[in-house]
Amino acid sequence: MSGHNESILREPLITGQDITYAKITDDILMPVENKPNRAWWIGFILSLCGATLWVVAVGYTFWFGIGAWGLNKTVGWAWDITGFVWWVGIGHAGTLISAVLLLFRQNWRNSINRSAEAMTIFAVICAATYVVSHMGRPWLAYWVLPLPNQFGSLWVNFNSPLVWDMFAISTYFSVSLLFWYTGLLPDIATIRDRATGVRRKIYSIFSFGWNGNVKTWQRFEAVSLILAGISTPLVLSVHTIVSMDFATSVIPGWHTTIFPPYFVAGAIFSGFAMVLTLLLVARKVLGLENYITMFHIESMNKIIILTGSIVGVAYLTEFFIAWYSGSEYEQYAFINRSTGPYWWAYWMMMTCNVISPQLLWFKKIRTNIPATWILSIVVNIGMWFERFVIIVTSLHRDYIPSSWAMFYPTWVDVSVFVGSIGVFFTLFLLFLRVLPSIAIAEVKMILKSASEKAKLEQIKEGHLDKEQVAEYVESLEKFDSVKQEEYAKI
Amino acid sequence: MESNKKYWKGLEEYKNTPDFVENNKNEFAEPLPIEDVLNEAGLSTVTPRRDFLKALGFGLGAVTLAACQTAPLHKSIPYVIKPEEVVPGIPNYYVSSFNGQSVLVKTREGRPIKIEPNPNAGVFNSGTDAQTQASVLDLYDVSKLKSPVLDKAEVNWSKVDEFVKGELNKAQASGKKIRVISSSVNSPSSKAVIADFITAYPNTKHVQYDAVSYTGIIKANENSFGKAVVPKYNFDKADLIVSFGADFLGTWISGEEFTAQYVSNRDAKSLKAGKMSRHFQFEAGMSLTGTNADTRVPVKLSEEGPALITLYNAITGNTLAGGTLPNNVTADKALKLVAKELLQNKGKALVVSGSNDVSTQILVNAINSAIGSYGTTIDLDNPCKRYAGNDAEFAEFINEMNRGEVAAVFILDSNPGYDAPNAKAFADGLAKVGLRVSFSDRKDETASLCNVIAINHNYLESWGDANAYEGYYSIVQPTINPVFNSRQAEESLLIWSDAPVKEYYQYVRNNWEKTILPALGKTWKDVLQTGVFAATAKPAGAYTFGLSLTAVIPSILNNSKALAKDIELQVYESIPMRDGKHANNAFLQELPDPVSKVTWDNYIALAPKFAEKLGFKEFDVVSVKDDRGYTIELPVLIQPGQAQGTASIALGYGRTKVGKAGDGVGQNAYPFVSFTNGTTKYATTVKLSGTGKREELAQTQTHHSFEGRNIIRETTFTEYKKNPATGSGNEHGKHKSYDLWDKYEKPGNNWVMAIDLNACTGCGSCIVACNVENNIPVVGKEEVRKRREMHWIRIDRYYSFNQENDGHDDHAAHGAHGHSNGINSVTKEKEIADLTEDKMNNVSVVHQPMLCQHCDHAPCETVCPVLATVHSSDGLNHMAYNRCVGTRYCANNCPYKVRRFNWFNYWNDSRFDNYLNNEFTQLVLNPDVTTRSRGVMEKCSMCIQRIQAGKLQAKIEKRPLKDGDIKMACQQACSANAIIFGDGNDPNSEVSKALRSERIYYVLEEINVQPGIGYMTKIRNTDTTVQA
Repeated sequence: MSGHNESILREPLITGQDITYAKITDDILMPVENKPNRAWWIGFILSLCGATLWVVAVGYTFWFGIGAWGLNKTVGWAWDITGFVWWVGIGHAGTLISAVLLLFRQNWRNSINRSAEAMTIFAVICAATYVVSHMGRPWLAYWVLPLPNQFGSLWVNFNSPLVWDMFAISTYFSVSLLFWYTGLLPDIATIRDRATGVRRKIYSIFSFGWNGNVKTWQRFEAVSLILAGISTPLVLSVHTIVSMDFATSVIPGWHTTIFPPYFVAGAIFSGFAMVLTLLLVARKVLGLENYITMFHIESMNKIIILTGSIVGVAYLTEFFIAWYSGSEYEQYAFINRSTGPYWWAYWMMMTCNVISPQLLWFKKIRTNIPATWILSIVVNIGMWFERFVIIVTSLHRDYIPSSWAMFYPTWVDVSVFVGSIGVFFTLFLLFLRVLPSIAIAEVKMILKSASEKAKLEQIKEGHLDKEQVAEYVESLEKFDSVKQEEYAKI
Repeated sequence: MESNKKYWKGLEEYKNTPDFVENNKNEFAEPLPIEDVLNEAGLSTVTPRRDFLKALGFGLGAVTLAACQTAPLHKSIPYVIKPEEVVPGIPNYYVSSFNGQSVLVKTREGRPIKIEPNPNAGVFNSGTDAQTQASVLDLYDVSKLKSPVLDKAEVNWSKVDEFVKGELNKAQASGKKIRVISSSVNSPSSKAVIADFITAYPNTKHVQYDAVSYTGIIKANENSFGKAVVPKYNFDKADLIVSFGADFLGTWISGEEFTAQYVSNRDAKSLKAGKMSRHFQFEAGMSLTGTNADTRVPVKLSEEGPALITLYNAITGNTLAGGTLPNNVTADKALKLVAKELLQNKGKALVVSGSNDVSTQILVNAINSAIGSYGTTIDLDNPCKRYAGNDAEFAEFINEMNRGEVAAVFILDSNPGYDAPNAKAFADGLAKVGLRVSFSDRKDETASLCNVIAINHNYLESWGDANAYEGYYSIVQPTINPVFNSRQAEESLLIWSDAPVKEYYQYVRNNWEKTILPALGKTWKDVLQTGVFAATAKPAGAYTFGLSLTAVIPSILNNSKALAKDIELQVYESIPMRDGKHANNAFLQELPDPVSKVTWDNYIALAPKFAEKLGFKEFDVVSVKDDRGYTIELPVLIQPGQAQGTASIALGYGRTKVGKAGDGVGQNAYPFVSFTNGTTKYATTVKLSGTGKREELAQTQTHHSFEGRNIIRETTFTEYKKNPATGSGNEHGKHKSYDLWDKYEKPGNNWVMAIDLNACTGCGSCIVACNVENNIPVVGKEEVRKRREMHWIRIDRYYSFNQENDGHDDHAAHGAHGHSNGINSVTKEKEIADLTEDKMNNVSVVHQPMLCQHCDHAPCETVCPVLATVHSSDGLNHMAYNRCVGTRYCANNCPYKVRRFNWFNYWNDSRFDNYLNNEFTQLVLNPDVTTRSRGVMEKCSMCIQRIQAGKLQAKIEKRPLKDGDIKMACQQACSANAIIFGDGNDPNSEVSKALRSERIYYVLEEINVQPGIGYMTKIRNTDTTVQA
């Protein structure tokens, strides 16, 4: 087994001293096995207020009708579908992290995939609530499913992008849930093993009888890989289909072939921003700095620059194509976007999505936690405006000028959106309390501490080439997270 | 470091037994027990058959019990003895008339639900106006009184009769005056009843007074020609029409009829024959007629008189004083040109003025005489009898009351407490009258001042007749039994005058059989069948004006001088509300004004530059104060084309006692009306001051330019004559189109429509007709403001400004001058805001009816997730309300934005209590059309119920459908015949012929949705025929 080439230039994925498997379990299960701290309570109560607001606003809409919103004969969608696309987009980062990065064997994902997947699921739930609540007759929402029925065998319209949407979202939700839950099984079993009483019973049910033997692990790995394979195309397909709600229409500003890649890039962009928004807080509050490290933050920031720039190029391409098309309606749609009555929304989007993420080119900024956190929120605001700009500014002035109208949101519009954020955080905070926010089993896979210690032994005993040792120590210096006094003694 | 150690897990491995070797080939020592699960034993679970049946039984029982809840109970009472003529589901039609328009009343199961034009009416009304269409709703008005009222208490009729007769006898005995006040009465039978009443009570005098008066014309004709009449105007015989502030296509005398006449010289048929009339409009406020004019010149109210003098001088070569317009060079130039054209069109021209001033109308008579209008375009021998009001008599009546000379007043079909020029004096005077009887159907502003309200029938419950023109009679017959304990006013008068025949039906019949029918050679039965009779018209004499104008001119100039001193206010009738009589009609309240597109309100219209000069922005609430101190606060509407220095306010608003829908809508402008020089005057001067408040008007259209898009295609008459396809986009042949989609097969019919933009005047009667036919909810001011009106058909009104020719400064005459770039004169974004004062004055207007285009490749159809909107094999775009889940995707994807969403449950939501939230008013609903629940999309169905009914009728009669069997509600109401509907598969149908016109274009055809409605280009006759 000797003679293998080891790469020592890789930053350890888990930092900190004396990290053992037991310590990982203890650290990660700390919030699950203890009473919540004050920060959690404050967050939870705030979120719960938001969730209540959501219930009130959606209840009001159901009782009186969609007229409670600010929509009109010209603008039939506004905050509702903006919110829907925004939430679906946010979900995408979770799938990308858990599935695509798994397939590419990017082990650094192991510390963040659990939370990111949870975020995906909760975001898709929020998106799904919009699908139902935006309908004029939500009690008939099941009609969009191709169910056998007694209406003379009436099918859904397979031409309609909304039907594709329904398939896309439901597939996405079920696969994401399955993937997330499968990954949770060993960790739930870990909690079960450490718990007592009722908790033990509950976790024992939810661990599906996980016993940790080789066969189970082997199947677990196989299932994870298969689910990752299934999820990967979803990263591309779901938002592609969502974009087709617009791209297949005839409305100038919607009828655009660039939408699928542009939407997918935008989704990943906003998703990573949301992961950062959540985890930067969570790692601090839950004391998980050793697991979610600067390396993760920086990596995610790099993805944000990349996708943000793709989105920026897409914005410019749209303008070019509008000019190049020679179609006056198309041209006007874009002139109106940037200079019409909603110009501020357009420039808000441009600033937040294209200009401000460019700051992340500076290493100082992208490794600065407060700056990153603020930028991540800015990106999310920008992405909300992107959807608002696409939906509302295209609709409010389309072909026939007599019908041009403005959209003004009502308190219900605002409450449904703000409330959905409350619902999201309520779910996320509950998740932090009952389930491990980091995949314990997967993180243990990437713990380098044992090999680190062995290496130190070897160096001490002089088994290694001097040159190699020097290079190794030098590389360690770059990463302040490893204690170097031990090496200095040599 | 190779390790040679060998571990073994058990003795079997160590010994390498055959068993072990065999098992070791498998990955797992024990196979998955799939077989066990799938075999029969696996299925014999712990739940045996009996348990299953028990569970099933319980389930069934529980479901049955749950289903035992009583379903909502709807009581319906069958006919015990079925009336012979009523077949459930089959409508009956009865002839009747309303406002002198002969109509057919459609009844279903005994209740009137729709008014349609009477095809027998001939030239008198080919369509119906918005008021007539909406009138059916007045029958079902819950704000009406249910019993007669005596001294504020509801009583029975015998008490009323006893009281009124007693008072009448006392009045007669005392020798004091008795007065019957009414709006103009043209009904021969009503006139006879009033005459009988006067015979019984000789102290009685009948005073006719109209809220919007035509006394000026009547008096002028009396003065000029000795005929105190409103003449019959023949716009169809006029090749050149010059109007000074007369909204003859809208509210002036008989807009509905004039529309048909006017359009007959401008529509597709006329254009094909190479003929198009020319129309100049000189006016202050932008009227519906002004929007249709070929050349419209804004003139101040104070300039209208001098303008007429200028025109008179230019035509006759006279040099009367005051014939200049020093401050309006454009108008002056235009008038000189108009004079030349008038002389060229002698005998084929018509000059009309909307003024109610006698002197002005005398001058107009002189002009018309000079251009030979009498006997051709003006007929004094077959006069119009719609208006016979006498302002002076009414003014005198108020004085009589105030002097305490009047003992009894009967107020029939009028509401002076609201609309009299001096309502205060009227009310004060009325208080001094002992017997005050109102025949109003509700406790309105006047009725509430009366001690008796003898509630009258609605016209749909009444017998009666009308005589709109000399020799032209129409009948009014009831179509429903009186709903409330009302009695026809005429019958009340007959009872109170102890007439021998008290039943009004008998009275009308006797009257017809005695006086009208013998001359016509018809029987009473014929009357009830055809509804109208026109005697042969008398030959129209050519009258010559031979009087001196010296007395007239100073009066005109004085009026002008009085107006010129401050902001000149014009009070006018708006198309939807007219004089305010039907202010409680929700259909009319929600009918957008054809010009401003404002619903549910009146406003003060100001020209853009003038408003800027005064420092007002649109929707600023300003206080309007006249020199008599009357003040109202109204929001400003910026009206392009409004003359600088003038303001316009619509009458008919600000009712306080009309009912739920109409109370408190807008402000009352009647107090601005004054009585001067023997007639009422609808112009005054006011002062405006800001209030700092802002109130957004509820407009159905807020963007007023078509942005140069080719959705509107227009050309000039000169260009049209060169190539009829000019401006249609098809000058160089049709465009080639390519298609991704399969073609729809339309084996039977292909329902399509053609709309003539040159015929449509924008009046909006189609909108109301559609509302009534299709049970379209009225949503109210707040919802319209949120842009949520539900109209299936709307009329888009766009302004464009006329481009100048190479910096010529004669903007107004531009239309008349040389070449017009009508096609190029399009307005771009923000250009309107940058327009100069003159450009803004000189706007052109186009009206475009817009409704579901029933696209063959409908974008709405592909996006509906549940197939709620689908295409039919006869070319229609269907909407299945029951299937709709309300995603609104179809509306978003509709390029024409004609889909309407039910944002709320308008039928059952107290917040929309405009009219329909009660069982009584719901009787107006058309049972052939489903009412839509909330959350459902709706849109024009091409009156599919009418298509089905027409098909069924043809089937019953075992014949193929004929062209014209089926008519859309909008098409039927249209006096201008601008909407043609029919089968596109029939090459000989009207619509197929129309769609083959060179002028046809399809709105947004370039996106290839293949709309089913073709539009014909707008043609403007802007090129002058004389050398300037």
